[in-house]
Amino acid sequence: MRIAILCPSPYSETSCAVSAHVARLGYVPVGALALPSWDRKTLVRKISQWGLRESLRYARAKLAPGTAKKPERVRNPYLAKYIRHRDGIFQNMHEVARAYGFPVVTCRNQNSAAALDQLRQWAPDVVIFTGGNILRGRVLAIPRLGVMNSHLALLPELRGMNTVEWSLLCGVPLGITIHLMDSGIDTGPILLRQEFRDFRDCLSLTDLQNRMIGAGIELIGEAIAGLDKGTISAIPQADREEDRQFFVMHDALKTEAMRRLKQMKTNAVGGASGG
Amino acid sequence: MTSGPPMQPVSVAEPPSQQESRWGRVLEEASGLLRGPQRIPQLMFRLAQDELRMLFKESQLYSYAHATRSSAEMLRAIVEWILKAQRSDGGIAAYYSLLTGYSESYPEVTGYIVPTLYDYAREAGDENARKAAESATRWLLTLQMASGAFPGGLHGVEPQASVFNTGQILQGLVRAHAETGNADVLKGALRAGDWLASAQGSDGSWSGPGAYQGVAHTYYSMVAWALALLARDSGEERYGLAADRNIDWVLPHFQRNGWIDGINLQGHPAYLHFVAYAIQGTLECGILRQRNDAIFAAAESAWVLLRKFETHKHLCGAYGPDFKGGLGFSCLTGNAQMSCVWLRLYEVTRDLRFLNAALKMNEMVEQHVPLRGRGVAGGVAGSHPHWGAYQALRYLSWGCKFFADALLLQQRFLREFEASACA
Repeated sequence: MRIAILCPSPYSETSCAVSAHVARLGYVPVGALALPSWDRKTLVRKISQWGLRESLRYARAKLAPGTAKKPERVRNPYLAKYIRHRDGIFQNMHEVARAYGFPVVTCRNQNSAAALDQLRQWAPDVVIFTGGNILRGRVLAIPRLGVMNSHLALLPELRGMNTVEWSLLCGVPLGITIHLMDSGIDTGPILLRQEFRDFRDCLSLTDLQNRMIGAGIELIGEAIAGLDKGTISAIPQADREEDRQFFVMHDALKTEAMRRLKQMKTNAVGGASGG
Repeated sequence: MTSGPPMQPVSVAEPPSQQESRWGRVLEEASGLLRGPQRIPQLMFRLAQDELRMLFKESQLYSYAHATRSSAEMLRAIVEWILKAQRSDGGIAAYYSLLTGYSESYPEVTGYIVPTLYDYAREAGDENARKAAESATRWLLTLQMASGAFPGGLHGVEPQASVFNTGQILQGLVRAHAETGNADVLKGALRAGDWLASAQGSDGSWSGPGAYQGVAHTYYSMVAWALALLARDSGEERYGLAADRNIDWVLPHFQRNGWIDGINLQGHPAYLHFVAYAIQGTLECGILRQRNDAIFAAAESAWVLLRKFETHKHLCGAYGPDFKGGLGFSCLTGNAQMSCVWLRLYEVTRDLRFLNAALKMNEMVEQHVPLRGRGVAGGVAGSHPHWGAYQALRYLSWGCKFFADALLLQQRFLREFEASACA
């Protein structure tokens, strides 16, 4: 099984974790295609997500590891088991690539002609998407089996963004879906779908999302192995045309989603002790 | 009426004859600075601020505009703007121009701002807002023509009966009667309703001398909404039937792609303000008349605009037919109207995506409302940037009305949402 990885940045923890995990399962990627480590829009987004101080600390640790103490912890602790390596952790895709022996190529846009040429050269059976651009049909058509994505909600119920929070607000069970991407937003055929119940000790929505990202990586491994052995197949979504797309959630609704998470935790604990 | 020629100093693609008068209007407006040079610093500041905003505008897939002020604070500022725009006779100015200052009173907006003032008075316990609504109603009744119609345009011009303005004022009269029980107000409302019903064509539309540019418009669904309100509050079904007839005429203009034909503004693009009118009137009429066909059609169009807003992080100030193309400026009034529509659709459908979009839209509009400056503090500009095609360099009373409505609905639904979640 020839696997290529699409990364939002060479420093993406999720990309490192996915690559290392599938490599350990015996599916060493044929290559990884990453967007540049320095991108103005990404920088602005990270500063708005993390704050300036944390962004600078992170950038310093990543870009100039010699000048800063190597972080003992990873940003998403649920990825630690995947990116731990000998006595340290993988700091970026280049380190993962060196460890397992595959190339990392940087491109400005994953839909560009150069990116397409590179992907065609690798001739992957499956491309695993861990972030980056909105992919055009030309990219989606290259891998023999398709481009795989881990979606943090049950499909087809909830498509789009902030789906962990939307699951909580809409009363849809938390879950993860591994699917192949098509031209729509999360409308492609489904490979695996699993409810997520490990929320009892969650401290926040970010914590919940981090746990689900970790669980999604485990499922990606299962999906790759299943496709390789022919034990799973992609099942088209029945109501592809139905508009179930959700969008970026306003903070007022996120506050309510957090309250519902706490309520679910209480109910789960109550149910467990009562039962 | 909000689309009337006297209020369009900067419009697009007009015929040559209108072009001359357009430039005449532009020069006349600009000469306002000679009469009031103290407005120049404010004008320069607002233009420079917009330039900077455009330069550093950053829209991310995962981001949305964040306001720094509470919605209650913002609401108070907007109502303050409206109260300051009210003249001593009770009429409310159409706009504050950065070039010419406050305009004459505008009967149409004075009418449909009345429900907003009563809603705010109730929400905030503000007696001044209630008194302003009462004074506005008294002034309006002095303007009613013998036929029962109300005049179009700004106060002081030769009065000509206007269907749309009569409908908009009717909204205010119906609410004023509900609040005060004043028999004269009800009489005025019934006379206006009778005139509207008599002026209606056999197909349910309004065209001819009382209609803008003499032709029928789908955004006159706002008139149908007013008639539906009158039917509910007076118990006279004939007004409801007139409303139904208009909606029957409007609905076939809703296309499968969400676009609404028949806005029919000759010489002007289809500003978001008018697209939103067509949707809002149809939706509200559908709710009042319990017509699922109208609610469904309005929801379809509103959803198309919601997707555009969520994907592009803004709505165009004007659209071409079938929502193709679009002018890049923002029509802040139209944005506020769409927020009202989405909030009402949330109320009807309980689909949280409508509430979510409205919350984000309100934050975006809030960012463009200044809290300081004579004539502009708490005001909603016609366009962002100020030089955009819709009501350039003006702060609009109807923009304030719709944004206040949106914030009032937001406060109510967030309270209900939190209460239901806690239950």
